[in-house]
Amino acid sequence: MKKLGTLLVAVSLAGALLTACSGGNGNNSPGNNPDATANPGAETEQPSSKPVKLDIIETGNNLPSPDKDIIKQELDKALNIDLNLTVYPAADDYNNQLNVRMSSGNFPDLFMVDRQQLIQFSKQGLLLDLTPYMDKLEQTVAFIGEDSVKKGMVDGKVYGISKSPQIPYNTLWIRKDWLDKLKLEVPTTVEQLASVAEAFTKNDPDGNGKPDTFGLTGGKLGAFSTVFGAFGVGMPGNFYEKDGKVVNSLHEPAMKDALAFIKNMIASGSVDPELLANSGLQHQEKAIKGQAGIVYIDWPNMTKEQFVEQIKTVNPNAEWLQIAAPSGVGGQFDGSWDIGAAPGRYAIPKALEKDPEKLQRVFDLLNYISNPDGGSLLVQFGVKDTHFTLEDGKPKMTDKAGEVGHSWLYQFTGRPEMEYLQAKFAAQSAAIEFANDQPRIEALNGFVDNPEGYNPADANRYLEEEIAKFIYDKRPITEYDDFIKTLETSMNYKALVDSAMEQLKALGYGS
Amino acid sequence: MVRGLDDKIFNTIIYIILGLCGLAAVLPILYVVSVSITPFGEVLRNGGFILFPREITFSAYRTLLTESNIPKAFQITVLITVIGTTVNLVLTGLMAYPLSRRNLPGRNFFLLMIVFTLLFSGGLIPTYLVVKSMGLLDSIWAMILPNAVWSFNVLIMKSFFEGLPEELFESARMDGAKEFRILLQIVAPLSVPVLLTVGLFYLVGHWNEFFQAIFYVTDRTLYPLQVVVREILMQSQQPLENAENMMPTQTMQMASVMIASLPVIVIYPFLQKHFTKGMLLGSIKG
Amino acid sequence: MEANHSLTPAPRIRPSPRSKLIMILTLLWRFKAFYIMLLPGVIYFIIFRYFPMYGVIIAFKDFAILDGITGSSWVNPWYKHFQDFYESPYFSQLLTNTLLISLYKLIWGTLPPIVLAVLLNECRVRWLKSIVQTLTYMPHFLSWVIIFGILLTLFSQNGGLINRWIVEAGGTSIPFLTSTDYFRSILVGSEVWQNLGWGAIIYLAAMAGIDPTLYEAAKVDGASRLRMIWHITLPGIRSIIVLLFVLKLGHLLDAGFDQIYILYNIQVYPVADIIDTWVYRTGLQQLNFSLASAVGLFKSVIGLILVLGANRVAKKWGEGIW
Repeated sequence: MKKLGTLLVAVSLAGALLTACSGGNGNNSPGNNPDATANPGAETEQPSSKPVKLDIIETGNNLPSPDKDIIKQELDKALNIDLNLTVYPAADDYNNQLNVRMSSGNFPDLFMVDRQQLIQFSKQGLLLDLTPYMDKLEQTVAFIGEDSVKKGMVDGKVYGISKSPQIPYNTLWIRKDWLDKLKLEVPTTVEQLASVAEAFTKNDPDGNGKPDTFGLTGGKLGAFSTVFGAFGVGMPGNFYEKDGKVVNSLHEPAMKDALAFIKNMIASGSVDPELLANSGLQHQEKAIKGQAGIVYIDWPNMTKEQFVEQIKTVNPNAEWLQIAAPSGVGGQFDGSWDIGAAPGRYAIPKALEKDPEKLQRVFDLLNYISNPDGGSLLVQFGVKDTHFTLEDGKPKMTDKAGEVGHSWLYQFTGRPEMEYLQAKFAAQSAAIEFANDQPRIEALNGFVDNPEGYNPADANRYLEEEIAKFIYDKRPITEYDDFIKTLETSMNYKALVDSAMEQLKALGYGS
Repeated sequence: MVRGLDDKIFNTIIYIILGLCGLAAVLPILYVVSVSITPFGEVLRNGGFILFPREITFSAYRTLLTESNIPKAFQITVLITVIGTTVNLVLTGLMAYPLSRRNLPGRNFFLLMIVFTLLFSGGLIPTYLVVKSMGLLDSIWAMILPNAVWSFNVLIMKSFFEGLPEELFESARMDGAKEFRILLQIVAPLSVPVLLTVGLFYLVGHWNEFFQAIFYVTDRTLYPLQVVVREILMQSQQPLENAENMMPTQTMQMASVMIASLPVIVIYPFLQKHFTKGMLLGSIKG
Repeated sequence: MEANHSLTPAPRIRPSPRSKLIMILTLLWRFKAFYIMLLPGVIYFIIFRYFPMYGVIIAFKDFAILDGITGSSWVNPWYKHFQDFYESPYFSQLLTNTLLISLYKLIWGTLPPIVLAVLLNECRVRWLKSIVQTLTYMPHFLSWVIIFGILLTLFSQNGGLINRWIVEAGGTSIPFLTSTDYFRSILVGSEVWQNLGWGAIIYLAAMAGIDPTLYEAAKVDGASRLRMIWHITLPGIRSIIVLLFVLKLGHLLDAGFDQIYILYNIQVYPVADIIDTWVYRTGLQQLNFSLASAVGLFKSVIGLILVLGANRVAKKWGEGIW
């Protein structure tokens, strides 16, 4: 009878002991890292002053603990700061954290925002208007470029620092060994693409005697990027310039033809039947497993060592070939590339206005990592002569580069994309250039903000759902015009289109 | 003899159904275990499906246990679980006992107050503000106190306490026992199954804790196990944004799941034997 | 909170106000030990649960972060966010899906664990009982991301184990995960699988509390085991079954966001899109917290009505929560 009583006492004692123990190491204030503060400012301007603590949050992963984080230590040393970076692997977790911190006045000193957040937060007066500070951010502006500065603007004022632009990574990849086995040529037109995909499905390209392969896969509709491109239209919902006018791909007559073509491809059984359900990297997995012979995907997921090894383990003879977009009646485009989108943007809270010293440090940080002669190389490649060496001015990674594999988390202003990738992924450089050189339709959606009263969630669902019905032959394409009508009226898509035309016109497109 | 035969048939049916349930549960688990110890290339070669590994490697476990934050996070999780479950059980027991007394004035008010919180909550932002104003941010208490009592568990425990025979209390009170003593010396020992059950619910709740950690803690050294595991799992759900991002393989994912759940799985068999000790009640009555 | 609950219960008889007060006080004093026990828990509820509840008012406001919850302006009309939800072209579909999925889960999530618990309780082979109990408990610890992976290996249309068998047997593969015909079954099935053993725990605990002399007496009377299950075991856990059922009814409009969000895809939206997934896409991703809060409030009110109603019915059987 007394057993439980004693047990409870024992457990609570153990608990109390554990609490006592944790007092020592558990309640250390974040980022209070001895390494970082050990030699306060051997190279800083104000060696006497205490390092300023900077709180930065963003999405990301694989950030090492502060004592192993060489980039943090180097930045701390160079700028006399104590940088406390927190990364969140899931976008939802990050957004929740950002929202509660903004609501509670517990502002981070620099934080990642998407376009929607930039607009809302700036309208609510939460973000620091950077326009008056542009001269203090000269180095940053020079680094990201004027176009990127514009992407951080709301109503003509700069509220966010956008990263320097990215380059496209995606292309079609095809199994060369399957082509050879079936004595087929690399497809150069969409018709050939369709027939190769069909052959990959029906003619047993892996020679195992089972009908267990199919032609094309990819991440959702993206698999058909090049098909839309061959019909000269962007992805459904894209805005772009055509013959000097801004158009929405859904209004293009060729959209119907593209959908009909895709419908036939799907009907022939040559497309991954679960294409629209592919999330994450399922399409890559299907390609590596030898289920699909053509995949629309980015070069890192096909050419990075880790994946090449996997491909070879599954089938030592497998050979993936990166191919150009096939051509069609509408031209030859490898899908579309949104020139209005930024790879990421960061904002500073308005509250920091009252702390000019700290604000200055944030600017220092942004300028430092944007300075090719300063910290830009650090956040790109790590410490010179440890993680990389300069040969003829070109960085070359050493075998210790793995220590700073997370350095991209500190690229708050981006990086000179092409040179960066060429250095970091020397083995993949051909694929990088190939992907970058593909012709693409320049989509403008990134420049368009949603108008009031338009619920993108409902409209997007309807759009995706009906497109799925068309291509899976659950709804005849003859009803396409009805679909557009419902989309524009019931789903209020018209409001978006009208507003987009206006916004884009203001930016000088289509005039 | 007929009864014996009936009994045999009855038992056989039970064993078959139980066997099937066990099998249905174990096969997918076996798959998780197998993938976690098979090199990923090998997994892919088998079309992603492996039940009995042919080639075994513990490299995923080694990587996780040496190169990730898992060992430190493990300590935090154990700490939260031990302290948290203790706090939970004490508070829950203290609430459930009075509420199981049907003649307590205001009983319905308190019960409604508890049920109400099962359905209504103020949302994330005001709760965050409370935790912040109490100075709990970035401490392990932020992962313990906001969930110090689960309404659900109070109701469960109260319902069990209500099942205890009234005569017990009356005779104890007649002997002049104080309510606290009755709770500790009569009610608690008679309620081992429910204390263990509710304790298990709390324990597992703490063990799987990541939500509050993500919210209230920014100090990585205080992250519990599930946050680290979630980091590994979530990466596979999101499109690759950066060329340098290293996607954890399925082998790695499964290994992290195994490391994170094995400890709570192995304690269960030890709790089970107490569930059958319902005899206590009978012996007291008789 | 309802105002009429904010006072301690009124006494039944009505003598003079003074003596009434004294009577109440003596009554309360008699129970002081109980109130002291309740105190820490009640303080917890007030601080962490009730104090933040002022947050629900953002359902009637245009929440602006800088102005805070109390400072944001009231929305006009006050029901605007509720109206936005109601006027979504998908409203009726969302409601139907939520209710259907939830009802299936309520039924299939309640019965199988009870059956499993009864069988385990009847199992005379110790080791089998222990093993099955532990094995069925394990899936609870797999997150939906992992279960999704398992489902893909089993049910994928290309390369999924089951479809491989079907095709090898000469059939055509079945789109289990992308067809509206199968998706809800997959949802309910995987949930039952995940929570079978976990759900049985509480019933097993309840069975452990049943007086063994009842079984002995029944045995003497020559009752069959089925009869004993029906007349002793099940009545013995009746109160806990009712309690769980009533509480689950309160969450009838939840239907399981985490699971559906990970498993669903555009092709099954017509049968899988629920209120919470819609709120996530519309409210949270678009930073419309007021909308999310309004829908949450709507769900809570319905839940409260269901719980109050169910409790009233349960009371008639003598099993009410209060």
